[in-house]
Amino acid sequence: MIDLNVLVRSGALALRMLMRSRVRLVLTVLGIATASFLFTAERSVRDGVREATQASAQETRLIVYRANRFCPFTSRVPEAYVDEIARIDGVASVAPMQIAVSNCRASLDVIVFRGVRAIDAERILAKRLRIKEGSLADFLARGDGALVGSALAERRNLRVGDRFNSAGVTVTVAGIADADGPQDRNACYVQLPFLQSALGGIIGGEVTQFEVEVSDPSELQAVAAAIDRRFANDRAPTSTRSERAFAARAAEDIVTISRFAGLLAYGALAAIFALVANAIVLSLEGRAREFAILQSIGFRAPSIAWMILVEAAGLSLCGALIGAGTAQLVLTFGHFGLGAEGVLVEFRPSLAGLTTSMLASLLVGVAAGFVPAILASRRGIAEGTRLA
Amino acid sequence: MIHDHAKSTSVANHAWIRARKLRKVYRKALRDGVQEIVPLAALDLEIARGDFVSLMGPSGSGKTTLLNLLAGIDAATSGELWIGDHNLVHMRRDALAAWRAKEVGIIFQSYNLVPVLTAFENVELPLLLSPLGRRERTERAMEALTTVGLADRAGHFPSQLSGGQEQRVAIARAIVARPPLLLADEPTGDLDRESAELVLQLLDQLNEREKMTIVMVTHDPRAAARARTRLFLEKGELARREEAVP
Ligand SMILES: Nc1ncnc2c1ncn2[C@@H]1O[C@H](COP(=O)(O)OP(=O)(O)O)[C@@H](O)[C@H]1O
Ligand SMILES: [Mg+2]
Repeated sequence: MIDLNVLVRSGALALRMLMRSRVRLVLTVLGIATASFLFTAERSVRDGVREATQASAQETRLIVYRANRFCPFTSRVPEAYVDEIARIDGVASVAPMQIAVSNCRASLDVIVFRGVRAIDAERILAKRLRIKEGSLADFLARGDGALVGSALAERRNLRVGDRFNSAGVTVTVAGIADADGPQDRNACYVQLPFLQSALGGIIGGEVTQFEVEVSDPSELQAVAAAIDRRFANDRAPTSTRSERAFAARAAEDIVTISRFAGLLAYGALAAIFALVANAIVLSLEGRAREFAILQSIGFRAPSIAWMILVEAAGLSLCGALIGAGTAQLVLTFGHFGLGAEGVLVEFRPSLAGLTTSMLASLLVGVAAGFVPAILASRRGIAEGTRLA
Repeated sequence: MIHDHAKSTSVANHAWIRARKLRKVYRKALRDGVQEIVPLAALDLEIARGDFVSLMGPSGSGKTTLLNLLAGIDAATSGELWIGDHNLVHMRRDALAAWRAKEVGIIFQSYNLVPVLTAFENVELPLLLSPLGRRERTERAMEALTTVGLADRAGHFPSQLSGGQEQRVAIARAIVARPPLLLADEPTGDLDRESAELVLQLLDQLNEREKMTIVMVTHDPRAAARARTRLFLEKGELARREEAVP
């Protein structure tokens, strides 16, 4: 019944006719591109928030924070807790960390200093950071040496040997490292004593948090509870969460905003639907005779519906390609990272994001063309050819 | 099968196109009931293969309606309409489309062409439905444009053509798939005398050389004079039939 040849030829014909209607094409495509840009950007925000904050069954990292404190400036726990924590069952390693941020509130381009002991740098960081430039030895050799995460290095355009200052701390880049998690990719690791003295020594013997690795991911919650129980009646009670749960709490505002932005994504899809439907319906008004003539030539009604659907698909794909493509470029070169209370959420481009936007636009566009296509193909041919 | 039966009883000793009690009723919903318009009441008509027929009659007498029924782009309410061994009245929309693609070329009074397609692309349209490859399609479309004397306008868009040229492109498109039947609804109605003459000459030529059967609706007695058979419609019925003396 369906002639593939005719399908291909009438599809090509529809696209050719679409390309020839410049004004209609350009205006609609620009609208769709804008909506698709928004949609893609929102996807990236959502994926970034997910990556940073969504709990997973494979997590092995806990953050031990001072109970009821929410900002790195106010969380203070005795460094000496490190030995107590190491003794708790299920703890594979523990590293005290001093955190200093250029800005505690949610903002773009935050620098998060993470002060670590030399021994932890060798035992723990060496395993999870992939050093691309410089070396761990250089980092340990310099007092003010910094190991900069790759995303931060790109955002700030930092190279090994560069000196930079933030939050009153001046460091020299000794290495640049890639990593799997957004926190490491955006961290600026420095040596713990250096950071403590740079911050004025007021917090000697105290750190912001401990980073604990557990040996079995299924024990994560149990170990966290055990840690908090141990210090519940001590002078600095703790609150221990998985790294991502911790990030979700710290970046609560960002999570909320991203949830709201999710509505924008649906709005963007609705806009694409409306734009395609509008472009198709309006053009069909003026082209009823054209389609009637095609049918008088022998084009079948389903071919007419097909041509209109191809047109809808062409419009939405064209717009999506431009909008989503631009969004990917902006995300690639913008290196966006939103920080809040020392936790970073990255907005990165991704192939999955690009394909999702393209597919979503295509589906919504075709859906928008569906009803007009069916209606137009069912119109009486004689009525159409009688129109002047 | 109905068709075989019909064939054996009618094809042998009847004309190629036969209408029997052909009726078309338009129903218009009004506030106080339904208004029925009957452009064709109970039309009987025969047209021989190879004939050149002109169809005349006052405005509103059902000429366009009849032509649309012959083209299979409108459906009769009742009666029979045979073209060869097809009774169009009983054919479904899809089957009619397939039949049209092979058997009929249609020319309307004006605005025949798709404005965003060039003359060549317009003429090529019917061939897109055939199994012909690109090269053959190009050859055939150019041949048809040559027949109507517009090969040099192949790349022009309809807006770049005169009314007469547009109409000739429409003729090229109507004949490109080499259908045996050509239907024209006031093809010269919008044209000046000279352009009309060119179009009529073309139709003459297609009838004589290509043996195409032509049914042409016209208001113009001069145009009607070209036809071998002249039919006059009045109030939905065939009022008069004149055969030109050979
Ligand atoms: N779609 C329609 N709905 C209702 N009436 C129609 C429709 N099409 C044509 N008619 C009516 O049918 C009659 C015959 O029309 P038509 O065949 O176009 O006449 P002609 O071509 O001879 O001028 C006219 O009265 C016209 O108004
Ligand atoms: Mg008419």
